[in-house]
Amino acid sequence: METIKLRKITSLWIITVLFLFIVNIVLGIIMRLNQGEILHEQPATFYAHMTTHGLTQIGIWFVAGMTGINYLMERYLKTSYLANVVAMVLTVTGILMLWTSTYIGNFHAGWTFLYPLPLKIMWAKWATPLFLGSILVMGVGWLTWSVSMMTQILKKYPLTKALAWQHFRKNPTIQTPPFILISMITLIGIITCLLGAVLLLAMYAAEYFSNGAFVNDALLMKNLTYFFGHTIANEMLYLGLAVIYELFPEVGGRPKWKATWYVALAWNCTLVFILTAFFHHLYMDFVQPVGFQIVGQIASYMASLPAAGVTVFSVLVAVYRTSIKWSLTNLLFFIGVAGWVIGGLGAVIDVTITNNFVLHNTLWVPAHFHTYNALGNVLFSLAFFHWFSIQFSEKTDFEKLTKLKLTLLLIGGIGFLLAFYIGGAESMPRRYSNYPAEFPMAAPLAIGAAVFATIYLAAILIFFFQISKRCLNILFSSSSH
Amino acid sequence: MFKHFIFIIIALSFFFTQLAGAQIASTGFEEENNIYEKVYDAKLNLNNGDNRTLTQLCASKPVILALIFTRCSGICNPFLVQLKENLQFKTDTDNFSVLVLSFDPRDTREDMVNLSKSLNLENNKQWLFATTGDIEKLNLSVGFNPVWDSIRSQYDHDALLVGINKEGYITKKLIGIRNKSDLELLIRSVNDVFSPSYRLPNKNRLFSCFNYNPETGKNTPGLGLLFLTLPAVITLLLLLGISYTVRHKRILI
Ligand code: HEM
Repeated sequence: METIKLRKITSLWIITVLFLFIVNIVLGIIMRLNQGEILHEQPATFYAHMTTHGLTQIGIWFVAGMTGINYLMERYLKTSYLANVVAMVLTVTGILMLWTSTYIGNFHAGWTFLYPLPLKIMWAKWATPLFLGSILVMGVGWLTWSVSMMTQILKKYPLTKALAWQHFRKNPTIQTPPFILISMITLIGIITCLLGAVLLLAMYAAEYFSNGAFVNDALLMKNLTYFFGHTIANEMLYLGLAVIYELFPEVGGRPKWKATWYVALAWNCTLVFILTAFFHHLYMDFVQPVGFQIVGQIASYMASLPAAGVTVFSVLVAVYRTSIKWSLTNLLFFIGVAGWVIGGLGAVIDVTITNNFVLHNTLWVPAHFHTYNALGNVLFSLAFFHWFSIQFSEKTDFEKLTKLKLTLLLIGGIGFLLAFYIGGAESMPRRYSNYPAEFPMAAPLAIGAAVFATIYLAAILIFFFQISKRCLNILFSSSSH
Repeated sequence: MFKHFIFIIIALSFFFTQLAGAQIASTGFEEENNIYEKVYDAKLNLNNGDNRTLTQLCASKPVILALIFTRCSGICNPFLVQLKENLQFKTDTDNFSVLVLSFDPRDTREDMVNLSKSLNLENNKQWLFATTGDIEKLNLSVGFNPVWDSIRSQYDHDALLVGINKEGYITKKLIGIRNKSDLELLIRSVNDVFSPSYRLPNKNRLFSCFNYNPETGKNTPGLGLLFLTLPAVITLLLLLGISYTVRHKRILI
């Protein structure tokens, strides 16, 4: 069973994530207003917002997923409180370093900081090491947390059982809970991509401090960047899915889901293929051999489709013609899965090489990844936050404003995303602070997006006040109830 | 089972190390140096009597800079003749100028006017001929290094074309007498149009994904590819290591 200490740190994570999310949405709205020519910022300021927004979002939704699985894992095994605290301290330190580098140092190379941009200093000289240092600090914290959790799983489940390989045989004697399987698969992926980040940062440091005696290979740096960036952005989604597998049947009053051979196979596929799917970010890099591009396309399909297939199947079976108890937690999970699938389809369209010739670096890219984040992963974590916060509350009006919150989330989210999709379909480029005259519809679309994002923000604010109030109570309560 | 895993990993690592090798040292090509750096803003004495600086010239139209000297008995003449031939049938001549600049301090404006006449280009608006007093700084900024050979009384130098865009940045360099398609890429680059280019060997770049051999024209896997597999290999070792340690501890307890 979880301890009071774990409850408290989980509450602190939730409040921190929600607070930073609100600030980050505001940054997103400012960017859209600038693209819509309502605000007139310097391009460097726009890119500082974009860099801050991108990395902070990835960071907070990653730790949100980790918070969820850490809390729920205590149902199966003991986790390390110390690792959790280390991750918290290093994440907050890293975020502060990041914001200092972007807003005081004016670093603005984007969250993917593609080589050689960070070394082409167009900002305070110290901002580059501070930005790269922020990733290192957060990375070390997350690596500690992930390795510690993986170790705890391995203490209880032998490796082959943690990966549910016994399900490939007939009538397995031991059951691996799907939650453990998905957490294990995801933690392995996370550790791999974080090690990739460490390597990437070491290469940057080597060039930065060598005064020209060592030069990096641009292709290697791009490969490493996306090995880290693409993989972590996907793995954080899987953390949310692990939470769904654990909580969705439970809150709906249904029996717990079990691992079967196809669930085990789908998630083992994800483990292998997610590590090579990032090659699809290099389709336009003609120096990369064609074989790698093909691997990128196939791996992208193989990493996402089987896992999506079994998850959607499980969710549909759980709700179709069954008397399920619908609550805010369940609804958020359900809508989140829909958002994940829609965003995933957008991704699969983009990842197909022939389509990528048209869609590469257009607004289609933020369209699909914002779909499975803003209307997917965020909802998975919001569901967990809500569920967690009501566990220890004496009041019973948990479903207050449910309709309003969901309506605002959906209207705001869909409107905001549609503007990206329409822009992408019209070949409007991503990452432009101001759109060229060739795209007369881009600015009006951006204004529309800002309005819808504000509606989405309104929903998040209600979530924030309700959940934070309960979490603050948990944080400052001395009882174990 | 565990031992087999370790064995396979070690065997595979050796196999991949065999495939990969460090990039061989530079072959002397330096086309990739100074790219996206600002060119030195040299004061020019142009054959038409104008006294503009290089950045002022670029501001009106991107420039393709050819560095030569008029007393050259070697590459300069064929280099300019070839350049002229490659450009003569181009119809869209409005989007760049060609600046033929002497790097020999002995050359005068008159020498350059004579050179333009000998090439039949004295009335061609796209071609400009000039000398400058700032040649050393300009050479440094474009990575051009002519060496005086006192025995032959000639400069030992590359045939260099430098593409400079409107903002005065070096976008691309071509060394040697090159074909039309290379020139086309240079023209695209000065106009800020995407032009794909291959990385050239550099002795300070140790971990390339692929090593290009200019003699065979083939790419072979480099150490960089091994780096790319490193995180997965370390994770696997970590996973097996932790799994082994915790299992043994459990057995001991
Ligand atoms: C309503 C909420 C949000 C708003 C208004 C918003 C807005 C934006 C905007 C305007 C951009 C720049 C798009 C471009 O022109 O390329 C952007 C980029 C980005 N956003 Fe969001 N966003 C929101 C939610 C999220 C969420 C939930 C995530 C979670 C991961 C996220 C992650 C990112 C990332 C990674 C980038 C790319 C940054 C880069 O290219 O360096 N955003 N967002």
